[in-house]
Parts: sequence; C-alpha cells; structure tokens
Amino acid sequence: MVKFSRYILIFVAIIGLSILLPQFYRVAFEKSTRAPFIQYSCIDHDFMIFRSDADVKWTNSKGTKLTREVYEKKLPLMYTRQLVMNETMPDSINGQKINVQHTSTFRSTFRIKPDELHAPKPMLYPLFESQSGRANLEMPGNFFRITWRMEFIDAKTNNILEEKSRMFSAVLYKRGFKFPAKSINGIPTTRKSCDEGYLVIDSADQLFHIKMTKGVPFVRKVDLPEGMKFKTIQCVDFSDKLYYAYLFTENNELYVLTPYDYMLEKFDVDDINPDEYEIRIYGDYFNFNVITISNDFVRTQALNRDHNKVDEYMETRPTFEQQPEGKIAQFLFPAQLKMKDDNSSYVNFFLKISKSYSWLFTSLLLIVVQYFIIRQRKKKFRTEIIDLLIIGITGIFGFIAVNIFPNKFID
Amino acid sequence: MWKSILYKEWLKIRWFAIIYAALGVLVVGNIFLKVQHDFEFSQAANYWYSILFQGNRFYEYSLFKFLPLVGALVIAMAQYFPETVNKRIKLTFHLPLNENKALLVMMFFGAFCLLAIAAVIMLLFTLLSLAYFPAEIIQSALISVVPWFLCGFVVYFLTALIVLEPVWKYRFLYLLVAATFVPIYLQTAAAGAYSPALPLLIVFGVLLSVALLFSGYRFRKGEM
Repeated sequence: MVKFSRYILIFVAIIGLSILLPQFYRVAFEKSTRAPFIQYSCIDHDFMIFRSDADVKWTNSKGTKLTREVYEKKLPLMYTRQLVMNETMPDSINGQKINVQHTSTFRSTFRIKPDELHAPKPMLYPLFESQSGRANLEMPGNFFRITWRMEFIDAKTNNILEEKSRMFSAVLYKRGFKFPAKSINGIPTTRKSCDEGYLVIDSADQLFHIKMTKGVPFVRKVDLPEGMKFKTIQCVDFSDKLYYAYLFTENNELYVLTPYDYMLEKFDVDDINPDEYEIRIYGDYFNFNVITISNDFVRTQALNRDHNKVDEYMETRPTFEQQPEGKIAQFLFPAQLKMKDDNSSYVNFFLKISKSYSWLFTSLLLIVVQYFIIRQRKKKFRTEIIDLLIIGITGIFGFIAVNIFPNKFID
Repeated sequence: MWKSILYKEWLKIRWFAIIYAALGVLVVGNIFLKVQHDFEFSQAANYWYSILFQGNRFYEYSLFKFLPLVGALVIAMAQYFPETVNKRIKLTFHLPLNENKALLVMMFFGAFCLLAIAAVIMLLFTLLSLAYFPAEIIQSALISVVPWFLCGFVVYFLTALIVLEPVWKYRFLYLLVAATFVPIYLQTAAAGAYSPALPLLIVFGVLLSVALLFSGYRFRKGEM
C-alpha cells in the first residue's frame, strides 16, 4: 500500500510537471508568429500581403515591396475611408463606377475560431419580436429551450410560460420538427439591425428557421440536400441583407442561406474546417476573401460575387515545433499536457506528444544519471527498475518525480 | 479504540470545521444577496442574459473559488500539525492497531468532514439557485463549482502529506509538486467548461487519498 502511495504521488508529480515545465518553457522562449493578412486585390487581380511583424510589411504575392499607400490603393474597398481621406479613392474599378456609400453596403466581415465552436453552449436563448414596430430591438423577459418541446421560461418568476410554450411547440410539431434540438443558432443580442430569429437543427438533422412575428410563431423548414450535416451555422447581420447565415458542413464545405427563398448557395471553396482553422470571410462589392488560418499555413481563396473561385494563395508558416525553440522543447519534453487548448474553450487534459523522438535521448541520459544516483546511494538496482522505466517513458518529468519521492526504505 | 481515534480527530478539527462550514454558508448567502440585488437593479432577464451570453460568473463572487482550498488547508493543518509537535503521531503508531489503517482512518475522517461541509454548501447553493435560475444555468454553475471542492480534497491530502513529512527538504519539494498540481482545479474558464475534465479530476482526488501513507511510513521509519 505504501509503495502504491508512492507511485500515485509520482504520477501526480508527473501530471503537474508535464503541465508546468513545458508551459514555463513556452512562456520564456516562444516567439510570436503572426499570420499574414492576405487579401485579393480587385485592382491588380493579385494577392496583397500585410505582415505586421516583418521588416517588409506590404508586398504582393510575387514579393514585390509596396509602400503602405500603394498597398492601400490596391485594396480600395478595404481601405475606403483612408483613400477617401487622402482623396485617392478611384472613381471606377474594373470599368464600374464606384459609389462609396453603395459599395460599402456590400462590405462584410465574419470570423470564427475553433475555440468558439468547442465551447459550452448557453442552451437558453431569448426570442426577440422580429416585427415589433420599434426602431430598436428589446430584450424579452423570457428565454427558450428546445428539449422535448419548446419551452419559454420567464426570468422574473423562473416559471415556464405554458401558453407560449404550447403555441410554439405545436407549430414546430406541425412543421415536422423532431424534438429535441441539436443546435440553436442565432444572434442573441439586441445590438443588431433586425431580428431574424434562429436557425435550429432538430434531432433528425433537419434545418428550421424559427422566429416570432407579432407574438406568433414563424416556423419554416429549409430543404437540405440528402445527408447534409453541419459543423456549425453562423447567423450574420450584414448590411446587404443577402444572407441569413454561413453554414459550415461536416465535409468542410461552406454555404450561405439566402433570405425569403431559403436557397442554400455553395461557396466554391474547399477545406473550410472550423473545427481546426480560424475562418475569416471578407466580402466586398467585387469579391469574397475566404481565409483559413492554422498553426502552419494561411490560405486565402478569392471568390467573385457569384461565389465562384477566382484565385487562391497559400503560405506556410513555421509552427513552434519547427522553430529552434520548439525543437529544443521536443528534445527536453516527451509530451506537453495542457488544461486549456487554443482550439477549445473547455478545460480538459489536452495531451500533445512530441512529434520527434529526440526526447528519447534525454530519457536515456536521465536513466544513466539515475543509475549513478542509485549506485551512489548503494541501493539495490533490482528495486529501482520501475523508477528507471518511469524515467524512460516520461523523461525529465519522471526523473524529477522519482527523486522528489524517494524510494528510501520502500524495497 | 477506533471510536477514540475518531473522537480525538474531531476534537482537533471541530472549531475549524464549524468555522469553515459557517463561512461557506455566509459566502453562499452573500453570493445570492448580490444576485438578488442585481436582479432588482438590472432586471431578471438582463441578469440571465449576462450569465448566458456575457460570461457573468455570478458564483465566483465573494472568493467562493478559494473557500474550499482554504477550508481544507486549515482543517488539514489543525488535524496533522499537532501530530508533528514532539512527534505525537508516534503515540498513535504505538497503539495496538494497524499503523496504515490508523493513518487512513484519520485521513478519511478529515475527508468525510470536508465532504459533509461541501455537501451542505453545495446543497445551499443549489437550493438558492433554484429560486433564481433555470436548470441550464444551475447545471453549468455546478460544473464550475465542483472542481473547487475537489481542489479542497486534493489540498487536504497534499497538506497532510507535507505536514507529516519528517524532512524539511522534502516538505519543500512536495510543496512544489502541490503547486504544480493544485492549479488544474482552479482554471479560469467559462461556466460549464470543466465538464470534460471532471471525471479525471475526481479520479486524481480519489487516488491522492492514500498519499498520506507515504509520509506516515517515512515518519515511522525514522527518516530525518
């Protein structure tokens, strides 16, 4: 039992050290590598690149050095305000006359990161009145959940509003909604231009649009292609009002849902995986820039307004493991344990095992050191074999742990 | 004999346990006093909204997060420090009882007291939550609060280990190990974010319950 308690303590020490030591190392030695900002120029029909941490900050895809002013002129719909201020905004682009107010209507910015996807969901949402006749949206006094039915809970009394719950549940049931909801997606804030309710996936993977108009339910089923499933649906509130949402499918495709006719339109892009990459979508009068950012690459796919791909550009960037500091880390540590991960908002045990096996050399070295410690302490080698095995598998963490909890007496 | 040991343990920690429990009740009471105040001033719907969408972690008010840690630390010190004065623990080892069993009984008595206090505080927290919040908010709040109480158990077991360790050098090293391990229970995160980690955190807490045997053994064997 005492022996067992020692190994538990060693195990606990290994857990603690495998979190703390690599974390200290990264804090001390990790160098920031910012992803370059890559945008398609409607002037040059080429990609313009801004690297905030480089000496040459502004270039095009061929590496030609640009001044800031020239760079901004190549992206007139991104830096419109600056160009207007400098009086260098072009009157026409690609033969089309440019009206600054009109073009700005088509400007949109969207961003999602994996940790927003992998995060605890609220499970309760406010259903706004979408036709209140008021200029501003007002926070309702109740919130809804969709479990075995759609239930509204009054915040003031913490009681279920039976009548409203029955009314909405009945309409959902009639429209073929299969309870409970798998995901509820909307923009639950009063700080939006108007309310379009929620896009809800039911338990049979059907998509429904649910909102409240003049106090009564509006429920519309959206026809989906056979077998289509979504990783996430992100509702948007863009000034052009052309889409309800960006829809990211399980097979890493990107769709938009159009209002009124509920058409799903596919963006001609690939490998759009919000589980692993940060996704940014910039829309303007001529193009969409769909940017995927991961630890080791940045890729921009440029589309025209018909959602067809015009061009794409990709750059790789060194990960921490590929940098000299990362290589030393892999030499020192067999693995890194983290309680938080860049791609998740959950707290969990995120184990990242070193990709290279260089840590085995350190382990071997530490086994030799431990062997000499054993000999110096004149202990029986036979009784220390498990300790040596622990060091072999867990490297520096195990070496520190077995020496903090000495094997003295426990033979 | 066992009854007497338990009574001895109770005599050592009773006031500290009562103060910890009372403080827990006060802290939870204070949290819900604040909730009631904010309900009054911000309106219930806005307050729910702030919890659901704006990261308002109402349960962190009044340093609730650190209460189980401090409570466990104080109870462990009260229980084990007197045993190290003049090496009184050796009296227990000289009783006609299994030494390991005696240590485990001491440990489980302390852990049981912590569990009882945690149960009272959590029950009060849940009951008061029911008056203000729906199940979804309460569930995610509890998922966030449970690791703090698990942290209390871990701190209790590790403090017992450290206090009973006879060599100062190792006491310091154990303290360092505790400093690397305890923070995994106290991460700042969104409500409900601890859900995937909870099973392993519980396992670690249970495993550490026998940690005291290590120091006890070294103490018995006269390690200096």
